[in-house]
Amino acid sequence: MTRRATTGRLRAARAPPLLGSLLLACASAGEAATTGSPDPDALLRRAFEAYRARSSHSSVAMTVHRPQWERHLEMKVWTRGEDDALVRFVAPPKDAGNATLKVGENIWVFNPKLNEVIKLPVSMMSQSWMGSDFSYNDLSKSEELLEWYEHRLTATEQADGHTLWTIESSPKAGAPVVWGKVAVKIRDDEVFTEEVFFDQDLKPVRRMQTQKIGPLGGRAYPLIMTMQPVDSPGQWTRIETLQGEFDLTLPEYLFTLSNLQYPRQ
Amino acid sequence: MLVLLAWRNLWRRPQRTLLSLASIALVVALLICMLSFQRGVYATMKENNLRVFDGYAQLQPEGYADDPAIDRVIDDPGRVARDALAIKGVSTAAARVNGFGILANGERSYGALIAGVDPASEAQLSTIAATVHEGRYLNDTDSDAAVLGELLARNLQVTVGGRVSVLGAARDGSVGADVLKVVGIFRSGIPQLDRSILEMPLARAQQAFDMSDRANTIALGGPTLAAVDAALPRLDALGARHGIAVLDWKELEPAMRDAIALKYTMSLLLYLTLVAVVAFIILNALLMSVLERTHEFGVLLAIGMRARAIALMVWLELLSLALAGCLAGYAIGGGTAWWLEKRGISFGSLGELLAQYGLPPRLYPTLDLVSAATGPVAILLAIVLGGIVPYLRVARLTAVAAMRSA
Repeated sequence: MTRRATTGRLRAARAPPLLGSLLLACASAGEAATTGSPDPDALLRRAFEAYRARSSHSSVAMTVHRPQWERHLEMKVWTRGEDDALVRFVAPPKDAGNATLKVGENIWVFNPKLNEVIKLPVSMMSQSWMGSDFSYNDLSKSEELLEWYEHRLTATEQADGHTLWTIESSPKAGAPVVWGKVAVKIRDDEVFTEEVFFDQDLKPVRRMQTQKIGPLGGRAYPLIMTMQPVDSPGQWTRIETLQGEFDLTLPEYLFTLSNLQYPRQ
Repeated sequence: MLVLLAWRNLWRRPQRTLLSLASIALVVALLICMLSFQRGVYATMKENNLRVFDGYAQLQPEGYADDPAIDRVIDDPGRVARDALAIKGVSTAAARVNGFGILANGERSYGALIAGVDPASEAQLSTIAATVHEGRYLNDTDSDAAVLGELLARNLQVTVGGRVSVLGAARDGSVGADVLKVVGIFRSGIPQLDRSILEMPLARAQQAFDMSDRANTIALGGPTLAAVDAALPRLDALGARHGIAVLDWKELEPAMRDAIALKYTMSLLLYLTLVAVVAFIILNALLMSVLERTHEFGVLLAIGMRARAIALMVWLELLSLALAGCLAGYAIGGGTAWWLEKRGISFGSLGELLAQYGLPPRLYPTLDLVSAATGPVAILLAIVLGGIVPYLRVARLTAVAAMRSA
């Protein structure tokens, strides 16, 4: 039943390809004419690449909001490719010095009070990262969407002079993934504007929305993003990128355990 | 007069009556013994499992059971615990901080429940203290001490005297971290717990996880599970007053509740079959005797006895048979169950198998109202209701037809 409904919708979306692309071309004028009918796989890949670049160094502020309290944290973030990332908290004093290192799918955390590096056990991957609405999985498997899901374009709309594509991604058969479905909205300048995560029953679980897009390091960038669990209205985490540089050459030692414990930068 | 008549009629065929009596008595005795045994085993199983860590009931913040987040707290747990202890049937109230976090020893790290506990009340409530087989349990003077499950210790490759790093999320969202010295290693008998629990002193955990004067749960103990169950209404009132939830054993261990319910359902089928079979045997015997005596009934009708009175007499025969059978069965079954309740049933080499289910090697049936009354009542009901068939048959008789039919 569901299958039939899905294929039905697919067919409906595909039925007038000519008309569809024509409308698209008219609506978004010359700029979108080159895109034609976009391939969702390529679209997602380009958006991920634009977001993380070949490498990056940025200052990020994180606000964790709960009904009873709100916390503001500041961190420095280095990334290289899709595998390596280092996050070092610099404020507030209570959290300063805590750091998280990701190499491949492995995560290590450093805590200044223990003065010790601890490898994150697999069983803890789904736990909250630094008390936020992000989990360690969000860090370690940030790009599993590209590898383990099948994508299809489900909607095209116009907003603020931009074309906005909605891509629905369903896990491939047997994929070792958490989500039952992920719906992503990407703007024609390759910026994520929304990401909705669904559980295995296809009920939305949490939603990440981009609140502010601005120029950063020579590209359009989601400067403020908010992650919110769907069923906890008083709870969200906002990530604001304050400064950023992309495609720089980062030293090799940056993503090592010794640098995690004894920072050199 | 009718009762006497019925009783006398029964013994006109002593052999048949004795056989019927024996089958009723046997089934009643079986039902009593099996039910007492089941109830005894389940009660022991429940208590033994709950006494390991859960307690017989728990006070928790609203919503904690669905989402055990550390920022769901009970404020001023000392006062709540004192109020709970004032309730009859509650003899221990152990406040706990439950942090879920990482334990690390060098390069080894595992996720675990980091429970901040009050050593004195915890030792009364949970058997973990008694199952420490290396080192010792926590005491009131401990500060940076910890005891942990055997499998967890093995996974972390830590022994008594070693150190364990603890890292978890604190109540305010910051990182809670501490280094503890292992003073003891326990073997609770439940592998899931031995693999996943570390206990540390409550005050130290409150400090590490920003929980000062707060707790996540208060586990409650009492002389028996039944005593705490009986205290539930008053506990609920206490919960309402403090704005916290009260969870009984069924809510703490839903899997165990379901398993027991399933077993009862399965056994119920067997019991119903037994009752039905014996009821049919008895009814069959009575119908035979009714057919045999149709001519006699005709004569009774002819000399002026009303058909209904005869039918009632037949029904009373059945009733007194059932009652006598039940009494005999009750004596046999109840006696056996009572004797076993005192003595216990030893399972010899099966003891180790039982231990896996948290059961002691010697099991004790429980002879209580439910186990003693269910069997006899079910049989009586089945026979008395079934007796309506011969009753209707006899009540419709007319003198002439009855006398001619034989």
